[in-house]
Amino acid sequence: MNVLLKLTNVAVYVGDTCLLEPISLSLNQGQPLTILGQTGSGKSLLAQAIMGLLPADLRVSGEIEVFGEVMALEERQALWGREMVMLPQEPWHSLDPLMKGVDQVKEVYQFVREKDVQEALALANDDLRYVGLEGNGHKRPDELSGGMAQRLAITAATAGGAHVILADEPTKGLDVSRRDGIVQLLQARSNLGSLLTITHDVTVARQLGGVLLVIKKGRLVEQGEATQILDFPQDNYTRELIAAEPCAWSDMAPTIRNNSAEDILTADNLRLERGGRTLFDGLSFSIKRGEVVGIVGDSGCGKSSLGDALLDLLPISAGKLTRINKAAKPHQWLKLYQDPPSAFSASVSLGQLLDDLVTLHGIDKARIAPLMSRLSLPQGILTRNCLAVSGGELQRFAILRALLLDPVFLFADEPTSRLDPITAKEVTTLLVELASDAGCAVLLVSHDAALLQKTCHQVIAI
Amino acid sequence: MKMTLSQWLGLSILLALLAFSLLGVSLSPYSLSEQNLDAIMNAPSMEHWLGTDHLGRSMLTRLSYAVGLSFVLSLLCMLTSSLVGTAFGVWAVWGGKKVDTILGVVVNILLALPGLVVVLLFAAIAPGSFLVLYLAISLVQWVEYFRVVRAITQGVIQSPARQSSQMMGFGRWYQFKRHIWPAISPSVFTLAAFGGANAILTMASLGFVYVGIQPPLAELGLMTVELFPYYSDAPWLLAQPLVVIALMVFAFHLLAGKRA
Repeated sequence: MNVLLKLTNVAVYVGDTCLLEPISLSLNQGQPLTILGQTGSGKSLLAQAIMGLLPADLRVSGEIEVFGEVMALEERQALWGREMVMLPQEPWHSLDPLMKGVDQVKEVYQFVREKDVQEALALANDDLRYVGLEGNGHKRPDELSGGMAQRLAITAATAGGAHVILADEPTKGLDVSRRDGIVQLLQARSNLGSLLTITHDVTVARQLGGVLLVIKKGRLVEQGEATQILDFPQDNYTRELIAAEPCAWSDMAPTIRNNSAEDILTADNLRLERGGRTLFDGLSFSIKRGEVVGIVGDSGCGKSSLGDALLDLLPISAGKLTRINKAAKPHQWLKLYQDPPSAFSASVSLGQLLDDLVTLHGIDKARIAPLMSRLSLPQGILTRNCLAVSGGELQRFAILRALLLDPVFLFADEPTSRLDPITAKEVTTLLVELASDAGCAVLLVSHDAALLQKTCHQVIAI
Repeated sequence: MKMTLSQWLGLSILLALLAFSLLGVSLSPYSLSEQNLDAIMNAPSMEHWLGTDHLGRSMLTRLSYAVGLSFVLSLLCMLTSSLVGTAFGVWAVWGGKKVDTILGVVVNILLALPGLVVVLLFAAIAPGSFLVLYLAISLVQWVEYFRVVRAITQGVIQSPARQSSQMMGFGRWYQFKRHIWPAISPSVFTLAAFGGANAILTMASLGFVYVGIQPPLAELGLMTVELFPYYSDAPWLLAQPLVVIALMVFAFHLLAGKRA
């Protein structure tokens, strides 16, 4: 079997601190290799080290062998595009926002493969047809959905003819159906060479097969055949990762609705339009006190818009929305955001933000400490600002802030989609538990049907 | 806000010039228009540290007065235009579509006129009036703040962070303080530093074409044009106001810093 890429004791340091402990691996032709681990475990560093993209203050040790030769940094950089390529994590950051999709692929043929303009355009159009983007080539990246943009980015990145493909979290932020499509596309693209994928998604690892490496905090914990490891995990950490998949969760909420509880909100024949397009029509439901309601649907179907409409952040086009609980004040209808750092002001510390809230609503300060320990938030978090805290901690802090206001209704807009599975499980569990304790209704939006099934009393599909 | 080395350098130059101006005005034994026709265009000496001009007036006294005047004008213009521009910029976003449209029309009219022409027009109506000069320059400069602040604020208003604060019941002042101001302040400070330099240049240009501050007062542009005929007899005299203008503009530009 042909060895395309071989690492011997590759480690990454910043100063004297080791970020990624020595790791050895080999990537063989036709056998995909997957690196599985949580965010912050050093997975991306490995890919950057292989490509030669590490920031200048990081140091690499060990040997990197490409196509059977030990190569220095500059030699590896000369292979970019033609032999070795790294796929972008989020397509928005790697595509030109002002250029038509087909041109972005065409330029690769034109300048990397040195074809003439006509031929390059024809090849680019063929490529787009192959990935199902026929008729979308004239659109700019912001006019494409997340999955389409990712397909475009993959097409552009692989058009140079590279055989060794490194994919860093290629499915981040995509829904289940889009994710499967991307995985298949990656497999098809790499059948002549090989594929090294970095992911935190156990399902992706399962679909890709091949060799699997599990990394925890910069250290290799387990290595072997993917099916073998995922079905018979040896290490505790691997078991934890597998257990954190929503379909493996235990049921958190009773599936039977408590019919005696009073309704806090009813929606009757709701219609919502955005940008001249009808998102949904004739939607009727009611939400009871302390109930967890899930909304499921593909991206762009109006899940988040529905939640915003219930909070009066968006106008409804037709139908009737009644808030029955008149006693609740406006600030008791709250929202948890998808991207935790963007939901906080970075200008002051989190403690200051909390103090602001305490002063504004005259909240009893004694309530903070027990809630913080319940949410396992360390005290030290209060002196830092939102950019210096991990996503999971920040989302738990958001829950803390919301709960202090005694909410009656909490709209959680994909609160865990940007968190890795173990953290996501913790956050979801805490959210559901604490909200039920407080008698607060939760509207949970997710693209993961399994997650909602395990946590919600009622699921609305759009 | 942490200042870089070049920003400190700019600030030090400005403070040095300010000290020069204050000390010169308060300690000089000569008055601004005191002539001594026996000692015209003298080279720097013990009595006249920076020499005397074509009418035998002390250059040090005149220069320090002129620097002070430039500082007062530039700081006043900076403050006024940044306050007005920022306030209107935020209001345009927050006040709804109608306010935004009206302010947009006003700003576009102002932008369509070249800034210096507007100032010249005002200055020609009331030559020599410091107040009119100040109003005219501020009128031209607030537009920049407005455009930049409005553009940044639009993003912040849409942000989940501000929306979340609003839902939790925080008022508008709080939302401005915590969300909008931190986002716009770096740009406002940069604009303010450039605005200060521009105000000085505008005032000097007007003085140079005789529509700004009138003699016998001292103003950098006016001094330049007065000393211009003697450039070959006494080049050190003409050089003084020019060097000071260059230094002030340079210092303000250093203070503006460079954005990463």
